[in-house]
Amino acid sequence: MIEFDKVSKWFGAVKVLTSVSASVAKGSTVVLCGPSGSGKSTLARTVNRLEPIQEGTITIDGHDIHATGVDVNKLRTGIGFVFQQFNLFPHLTVLENVMLPLQRIRSYSRKDAAPLAMEMLSRVGLAEKAKSLPADISGGQSQRVAIARSLILNPGVLILDEPTSALDPEMVGEVLKLLRRLSEDGMTMMCVTHEMGFAREVSDRIWFLKKGELRFDDEPTAFFSSDAPSEVRSFLSAVNRTH
Amino acid sequence: MLEILHEYGLMLLIGEYPHGKLGGLALTLIISFVSLFATFPCSVVIALARTSQVTWLQKLATGFVHSVRAIPLLMLIFWAYFALPMLIGFPIDATVTLVVAIVIYQTAYLGEIIAAGINGLPKGQVEAAKALGLGYVPTTFRVILPQALFNVIPGIINQLTTIIKESSLGSIIAVSELSYVMLQVNSNEVTKPLQIFGILAATYFILCFCLSQATNWLERRIANKRTGRFFVEALA
Repeated sequence: MIEFDKVSKWFGAVKVLTSVSASVAKGSTVVLCGPSGSGKSTLARTVNRLEPIQEGTITIDGHDIHATGVDVNKLRTGIGFVFQQFNLFPHLTVLENVMLPLQRIRSYSRKDAAPLAMEMLSRVGLAEKAKSLPADISGGQSQRVAIARSLILNPGVLILDEPTSALDPEMVGEVLKLLRRLSEDGMTMMCVTHEMGFAREVSDRIWFLKKGELRFDDEPTAFFSSDAPSEVRSFLSAVNRTH
Repeated sequence: MLEILHEYGLMLLIGEYPHGKLGGLALTLIISFVSLFATFPCSVVIALARTSQVTWLQKLATGFVHSVRAIPLLMLIFWAYFALPMLIGFPIDATVTLVVAIVIYQTAYLGEIIAAGINGLPKGQVEAAKALGLGYVPTTFRVILPQALFNVIPGIINQLTTIIKESSLGSIIAVSELSYVMLQVNSNEVTKPLQIFGILAATYFILCFCLSQATNWLERRIANKRTGRFFVEALA
């Protein structure tokens, strides 16, 4: 379980997160949405300490991630993170991308790491692309490889920062299908996305952020109901116009 | 000109070898390649320090780069040749002196090229490595350097042409490389400086022109296939 308690963050003089308190239950999927600049990506990035915070605490399974003595690299191996731009390593093949954490963090030999990485690639349906380079596969496939890479060390949590925003529309579906399956398998997920269909069908809770504040934290039915706060409704109508 | 080539051709290529020390073009090439190979690891260290998050390390490397770039190579050679033996108490071979001076000098320049290669990588690459929980060493050696060094291969070859030209300064401290040999030929054949230094110029030109053409070809290749199949073939 991830708990945010009065988390605040500044970029210089600009306050980007204001006293955010919320929690993600084990095995649940939370979708973070909100207008551009609302702090949703920043909040997602605080969980594995890619972004430092200035106030408040974040705990995972009761452990404060900023406590003294916490090995940040060890913390990160327990949290899968998927970027908007995939960030695959272009000089390594698809298989080598997925194998890298096993080899460099778990000290597996190439021989031992390869079958595990292949199994993970099969799970995301890309075993046949194992020997391809990232430049030779599509955006949707790249993102699925990135997800496979982030899951190879069996993290307890998966954070996704706009995983489909850089994709062509016809490739969004394949990534969302994979995320839906992960959610059904009980993976704890935090996903920043504008895909409201995905939010409605897959998420257990939706967080709506605006100007760095968590303005709404409830189940999807409440989020999409006509009783939702007016700022949520105006956000939804803006998103629907562009999708 | 052909006469001179006929008479001194072998000397131009290998100096007085096998009756004396190896010299001429062969020594120029040996000095250049040895200098480049020795410069390379030093430059990587300087580039890593320059791009480091550790402030004092970054400042130290920046200080080194700025100091070296502010002095002429010839002065560095004078220091290494005349002053260093006095400081350490024993003489150093002139060729070694030249190589050491070139390595110190080129480390500053090549270090800057490699640092630019590191800074030029997308920020997401380091972030992805961090997010996977990779520490500094695997991030540097498995993610950053393979990409950064590949991208600056043309710059590295370019520095080789600079080193070849700089090695001619060895003639001042009697290193019998190409220029020194031709100076000697000129003192034998006092009346033909035009031909002798014409041959010298042509030799440097052919050598460096071929290298710069190779650099251009590589640059195009890398621009085209920066992220394609060529990447793995080149590194394999």
